Amino acid sequence: MIYLLLAGVLFVIGLHGLFVARHLLRKILSLNVLSAAVFLLLVALAREADPLDAVPHAIVLTGIVVSVSATAVALVLLVRLSRPREDQRKLMDEEGG
Amino acid sequence: MGWLVLVFDGLLAAALIWLAWQATHTPGLFRSVISFIIFGLLMALAWVRLDAPDIALAEAAIGAGATGALLLSALGRLVATHEEGAPWQERRDLYFWIPAGGALLGLLTLAAWMLPSPGLGEQVQDALPESGVQNPVTAVLLNFRALDTLLEIGVLLLAAIAIWSLGRMPLPSAPAVRSPALPALGRLLFPMFVLVSAYLLWRGSHAPGGAFPAGAVMGAGGILTILAGAQPWLTGSVHGPWRMLLSLGFAAMLALALGVMALGQPFFAYPPGLAGLIVLALELAAGLSIAMSLVALYLAGQPPDHWEGEARGE
Amino acid sequence: MSQANTLMAVLVGVPLVGAIIAFVYPRLAVSITAVCAGVMVAAAAGLTRLVLSSGVLRQDVGGWAAPLGIGWQVDGLSAGLLLLTAAVGAAGAAHRAFEALEQPFFWPLWLFLWGALNVLFLSADLFNLYVALEVLSLAAVALIAMAGGGALPAAWRYLLASMLGSTVYLLGVALLYGRYGALDIALIADALETDLPSALAAALITLGLLLKAAVFPLHFWLPSAHGRAPAAVSAALSAVVVAAAWYLLVRLWFAPFGAFQGNGVGVLFGLLGAAAMVWGGLLALVQHRLKMLIAYSTVSQFGFGLLLLPLAGGVGAELAWRGAVVIVLSHGLAKASLFLAVGGIARSQGHDRLDAVGGFGSGGVLPWLALVLAAASLLGVPPTGGFAGKWWLLQGALAEGAWLWVLAILLGTLFTAAYLSRLLAVLLRPAQRGPQTGRPSPLTALPGFVLALMACGLGLALPALERLLSSALVAGGLP
Repeated sequence: MIYLLLAGVLFVIGLHGLFVARHLLRKILSLNVLSAAVFLLLVALAREADPLDAVPHAIVLTGIVVSVSATAVALVLLVRLSRPREDQRKLMDEEGG
Repeated sequence: MGWLVLVFDGLLAAALIWLAWQATHTPGLFRSVISFIIFGLLMALAWVRLDAPDIALAEAAIGAGATGALLLSALGRLVATHEEGAPWQERRDLYFWIPAGGALLGLLTLAAWMLPSPGLGEQVQDALPESGVQNPVTAVLLNFRALDTLLEIGVLLLAAIAIWSLGRMPLPSAPAVRSPALPALGRLLFPMFVLVSAYLLWRGSHAPGGAFPAGAVMGAGGILTILAGAQPWLTGSVHGPWRMLLSLGFAAMLALALGVMALGQPFFAYPPGLAGLIVLALELAAGLSIAMSLVALYLAGQPPDHWEGEARGE
Repeated sequence: MSQANTLMAVLVGVPLVGAIIAFVYPRLAVSITAVCAGVMVAAAAGLTRLVLSSGVLRQDVGGWAAPLGIGWQVDGLSAGLLLLTAAVGAAGAAHRAFEALEQPFFWPLWLFLWGALNVLFLSADLFNLYVALEVLSLAAVALIAMAGGGALPAAWRYLLASMLGSTVYLLGVALLYGRYGALDIALIADALETDLPSALAAALITLGLLLKAAVFPLHFWLPSAHGRAPAAVSAALSAVVVAAAWYLLVRLWFAPFGAFQGNGVGVLFGLLGAAAMVWGGLLALVQHRLKMLIAYSTVSQFGFGLLLLPLAGGVGAELAWRGAVVIVLSHGLAKASLFLAVGGIARSQGHDRLDAVGGFGSGGVLPWLALVLAAASLLGVPPTGGFAGKWWLLQGALAEGAWLWVLAILLGTLFTAAYLSRLLAVLLRPAQRGPQTGRPSPLTALPGFVLALMACGLGLALPALERLLSSALVAGGLP
C-alpha cells in the first residue's frame, strides 16, 4: 500500500533533516515530519484491519496534541535562545517604570 | 475508477514528499515554514483517504492551523532568520545517508508490509454499547483509554506552564504590519468558529468530530482574532480566573477519575448508566481546555497581569 | 475496590491535583507540595507492603481489561522505584523549599514530573507509557531551563534528544500494534514471535529508550543538562528520570523481547554498559566543576545497570537481578544526595569549581557529611546499599563464569574510586569561608543528608530487599 511506503519515506526525510539541518527551526520542522510519518503508519495499519480499528485513530489524535505542545515549548525555547536577555531587560524596564 | 484513485494517492504522496523535503532541506526559512503548513493541509487529505475523518479535522486545525501560527510567530521573533550557506551540511555525508536511509526505508517498509494488523476493531465494536457514545473514536478517547486523554490534556496544561516559566510573553502579540481586511474578518469569523466548534462537539458523540477537532477549531479561531489585533483576554495574573479556566479541562477529568472512587467504582470507571452523560461533560471540558491552551501556547510566554485599557485592580 | 487500587490511583491522582493547585494558587504551592509528598511517601510504602504480602498487583484502569483498556501493574521492581521516586521527590522538594527561591512555576512543574514518573512505574501499556514519557520530558525541560543562562542550550538539547527518542519509540510501538493488535506489555509478551517486524520494533523501542536513558554513546545531552539544572532538578533527573528509562528497558527486555535474548543482544547491552562505565569514568576524571563530575558519574554508573541484561539468562540470574536493582536504587539515593549537597556547597561559595571549592565544613558541616556518605555508597563501601548491589551483581557474574562482566564490574568500580578520590582531595583542603551574603539556610542541607543516610541504610535492609526482589515478585518472571 502506497501510504506505508509514504510513511517510510517521510520518516527517512525527517531523520535526515534532524541530523544535518543547521538552523534550529529546521530541526523542529524535521521532528514534526518525523512524527507525521509515525502517525501515518498507525492509521494506514488501522485501515488494513477489519473492521476499521478506532484505537490507532484515538492514539494519533492524542499524539497530534502532544506533538503540538512539545513544538510550542521548543519554539519558545528557541526564541529565548536566539535573543539572550535583550527582551527580558526591556520588559523589566517596563515593569519597573 | 480503481486506477484513478491510485493516481490520486500517488500524486498526494508525491506532493507530501516534495513538501516535506522543502520544509526540511531547501533554503529560506519562511518558505520552509509555508511548505510545512501546506504539508499539514495535504496530510488532512491523506487522513480522509485513510478513512480517518476525525484526524483530518484535527490535523487541519492543529497540524496546519495552530502549528503553522506558532511557527510563523516564532519565525517573526527570531533574530537570525537567514541561514548562512546551504541549509544543510555538505554532501560528503550522502555517502552515509543514501545507503543508511535506503536500508532503513527498506526495512521499515518490508516490516510494515508483513504486518497482519489484527487491530481491535471487533473489541471496540463489542464494547461500544456500554461506552455511552456511538462514535468509536470518541469511545476510545474518553472511555476505554481515558487515562491517555487525561495525560494528554495534562501535557497541554504543562506546556502552557512550561512556556510561562520561560518568561514573559513577547509584545506585541500581533504582527506589526497586518492586512487591513484582517480585523473585520476576524470579528466576522469568530462567531463562525464558535458555531462550528459547537457543532463538532455535538456531532462527536455519534459521528466524526468531538472534543479534539472542536477545541482545535476554536483555538485556531482565537489565534486568528489575536492576529486580527484583538486583545488576548488571557492574563498571567494569579487573581484573575484565567489560571483556573486554563486548568479546567484537566481538573474536571481528574476530579471525575478520582470522584467515581467515592461511589465505590475503581479509578476512572464510569458508573453504569451515566457513561453517556460523563463522556459529554468530559468532551466539553476537554474541548474548552484544548482551545484555551492553544491560545496560551500561541502567546509564547506568561501574559501580563493587566492589558491596557482594562481596569487596574491595584 | 481493593486497597491496592486506591493506592495506585492516589499515586497518580494526588501529584496531578497538586500541580493544578500549585499553578492556580502559587501562594499555597509549597504547602500543597508538602502535603502531596507526605501522601505519596505513605502510598508508595503502603503499596510496597502490599506487594510483599500479596504478590504482583494488577488493575484495569476504568474497568476495561486489556487489550481494549490500560492496565496498571506493580511488582517488586516497580514498587522499589516508586519508593525511590517518593524519597527523591520529597527530599528535592524540601531542599527547594528551604532554598526559598522566587520561582513559583517550579512547584507545578515538579509535581507534574513526579506524577509522570508514578504513571511510568505503574503503567503496563506501551502507548500510555509514551504519553507519560512526554509529560516527563516536557516537565524536565522546563525545570532545567529554570536555571537560565547556560542551562537554556542544555534544555534545548535535552528536548530535541528526548523528542527524537519518543518518536522512535512510538514507531516501534506502532509496529508492535500492527503485528499483535495489543499495547499491553504482558499480552505482547505472550504473543511475541521472533520475526522481522518484532525485531525491528524491539530495536526501535530500545534505541528510543537508550537515547532517553543517555546510555553511551547516546549520552551526549546528559552531562550539560544535569550539570546546569537547579540542584533539586539535577537530583531528580540523575536519580530517577534516567532510572525510569532503564526500568522500561529492563521491563521490555525481560518479558516481551526476552525472546530475542541469546542472539548476542545481551552481550551487546553488556558491552554498551562496560563502555559507558569506562567513558563516563574517564570524562568524570577530567571535569573542572563538581556538578559536571557528578553528572558524568551518572553516565558511568548506569553501565552497571545494563550488565543485568547479559547476566539475566543464566544460573546467576536472580543474584544479578537483585544486584542491579539495588545498584540502581542506591545510586538514585546517593546521586540525589550528592547533587543536593553540592548544590548547597556551590550556593554558599558562589561556584563549584573543583580547583577552588572546599574543604570539609565550608558552608556548613552537613552537606559535606552527606557528600562523604553518598560517595561511600556510590563506591560500594560495606555496609552501604551500593556495596550490597555490587556484591550481588558480582556474585551473579561469578556464578555464571562470565569473566568479561566480572572484569567490567571491577573496572567500573576502579573508575568510580578514581573520580571520587578527586572529591576526597577537595575534602581535605582547609575550610573556606564563602561570601557571607546569600548564604542558604542550614536546613537546606538536611534533605540531602537524609538521602545519604538512606543510601547507606539500604545495606542494612537486605532481608527486605531480598524478599521484594525475589523472582516470585517479578511480573512476567525472570527470563
